[in-house]
Amino acid sequence: MFNRALINFDKSILNQIHVRSLELLSDCGVRFFSEKAVEIFRTRGFRVSGQTVFFKEKDIVDALQTVPSQFTIKARNPEKNICIGGGDYMMAPGYGPPFMIETSGEMRNATLKDVHTFCKLVQTSKYLDFNSSIVVQPNDVAAETAHLDILLATILLTDKPIMGSTSSEIAARDSLKLAEIIWGNTSDPLMISLVDSLSPLQYSEESAESLIVYATAGQPVIVHSSCSMGSTGPITIAGSLVVSNATTLAGICLSQLINPGTPIVYGLGGSPTEMRTGGYVNASPEDVKHTAIVTALGRYYGIPCRSQGALTESFCLDYQAGMESAMMMTTAALSGADVSLHTCGTYGSMLAMSFEKFIADEDLCGALKKLMKPVEFSEEAFAMDLIKELGTTGNYLMQKHTVKRCRTEFYEPALSTRAIHTKWQQMEPREMDKRAGQILENRLLDYKEPDIDPQLERDLKTFIDQRKERMSGVS
Amino acid sequence: MTVKAIFDAVINLDEETVKNQTQAALDAGTDVNTILNEGLIGAMDEVGELFSAGDLFVPEMLMAAEAMKAGLAILKPFLAEGQSRSKGIVVIGTVKGDLHDIGKNLVSMMMEGAGFEVIDLGVDVSTEDFLKTAEEKNAQVIALSALLTTTMPSMESTIKAVKEAGLGIRTIIGGAPVTQTFADQIGADGFSSDAPGAVKLVKQLLA
Repeated sequence: MFNRALINFDKSILNQIHVRSLELLSDCGVRFFSEKAVEIFRTRGFRVSGQTVFFKEKDIVDALQTVPSQFTIKARNPEKNICIGGGDYMMAPGYGPPFMIETSGEMRNATLKDVHTFCKLVQTSKYLDFNSSIVVQPNDVAAETAHLDILLATILLTDKPIMGSTSSEIAARDSLKLAEIIWGNTSDPLMISLVDSLSPLQYSEESAESLIVYATAGQPVIVHSSCSMGSTGPITIAGSLVVSNATTLAGICLSQLINPGTPIVYGLGGSPTEMRTGGYVNASPEDVKHTAIVTALGRYYGIPCRSQGALTESFCLDYQAGMESAMMMTTAALSGADVSLHTCGTYGSMLAMSFEKFIADEDLCGALKKLMKPVEFSEEAFAMDLIKELGTTGNYLMQKHTVKRCRTEFYEPALSTRAIHTKWQQMEPREMDKRAGQILENRLLDYKEPDIDPQLERDLKTFIDQRKERMSGVS
Repeated sequence: MTVKAIFDAVINLDEETVKNQTQAALDAGTDVNTILNEGLIGAMDEVGELFSAGDLFVPEMLMAAEAMKAGLAILKPFLAEGQSRSKGIVVIGTVKGDLHDIGKNLVSMMMEGAGFEVIDLGVDVSTEDFLKTAEEKNAQVIALSALLTTTMPSMESTIKAVKEAGLGIRTIIGGAPVTQTFADQIGADGFSSDAPGAVKLVKQLLA
């Protein structure tokens, strides 16, 4: 099999990170702002002090042993099921930004209509494999029921796998219920959800209880911890890795205590704190180093791993956006990441999304998917007979071998230009964001809603309506 | 029906069908000019449009031209009887000192596809050879290709010699480093950045 782990680390370093993480888990413990989580640990005989749980080496080793090395998530269209841990790099768009950035540079609140537009782009994307559960956080719908609106959109407007919501325990249960309406009562993986810890060494109530809900149902979870280096974790990469790794291992341990064999994606990250402002900075060389090391740690533990996506600090489609996004994603791809969120559309510290950046990032995703394909070394690919026939004077352009492969052999970007200068000068529009806008327009015109059984659609909508009614009644 | 089948076979890069359908059309008594202009050349006009629009790739355009030429070979004995003439004679080559021929070959193929008689002198062609051949063959156009900035001056000297010869032969130039500005500067009659553009250019010059 093609080995994507082009960036490797000395195993003794990975061992050191692991051993020091165990030391933190034993000496400092991890705080869970959830009585349910603490109770699970307490009944299993873990040492608990208040909300802080302490772990022994055996607890972690036992947990790691039951995590599967790969699993398949169902899509509404079975042809779009995704296998995670099978060697491919699965990509989802932005996750969580509350804002949209227009080509003018103006920033505005994201809306449910934006969610719908992104769903249509995911559905028509040649490269994105699954949906995000918060591609943007819509501001024009009630926050407590927004997860229902987003889930319904991802289910109806796309037939690719969905992410479950982790905004609360209730949101996690709603996600499971919707999946049950589609697929019935099954323990097969039907979605994947992101459980983000707090740093350092903590899990919020929502995160911990979402993790409990999904693990109980045997549903896959990305357990992810990330430091802002120098503020919520040590300023050094080594220290940041130990803190985040310990936190992630604690979450994995909880999942396996609840339901051994729960599919997990291992994730950790680290980004610098901007020392002039105290802000959070993405897409730095330090982020990239985390990206490379997390994939090595994932392999060390034998668990599929998540890396960050096409992140940037830029707010427009400029050199910085392209450079930072490409640096992040290329490293993830070449070091062997299994999953990335934020692969399309993200601007400025993951605070905003843009349709034009989404289109541009797709070119990057496509290029990387092509880059990751193994090189063909078949007899036909070596083309020895043809090479000998043409010798030193031949023109390969006119050969059937070339014609047969001329549409498939090379990657063809949708947005990047490859025109000669004269043609480039004649292009209207010439600016990248405007050309991305044209592609966006065509994609939305071409979009067709995927087929769904009308009864299933009614059942899903009825459930959503009932839940909204009930939740508004409660509030 | 058969002429349409010839047209479609060229577009589909299907040389065998072009040959079969061309023969079938001749056997059925279809006018040779109709087969040539509406079937073969018409298809190559379409191929040029598809290529310029980016819908057809270079190897496909070349295969289409090959298929067209296969049909043309079948028509040739009948064309010789004067039922049809070439649209003009073009002498083409890569200039002295330059061995690059892919772009020149593309232009050559497309010109033939459009119904011109093309005399391809190959690469590293001297001013004298361009002039001598053009004079002997009564060519209307000399097409010069260069890929290297170091060989571009050869274009200027050849064009100068053509003008001095006073034969009324038009000159066109092309190649990756060549621009309209350069063409104007050295007194070329035309420039094109791609093969279909070169065909259009020659059609305009000879109109």
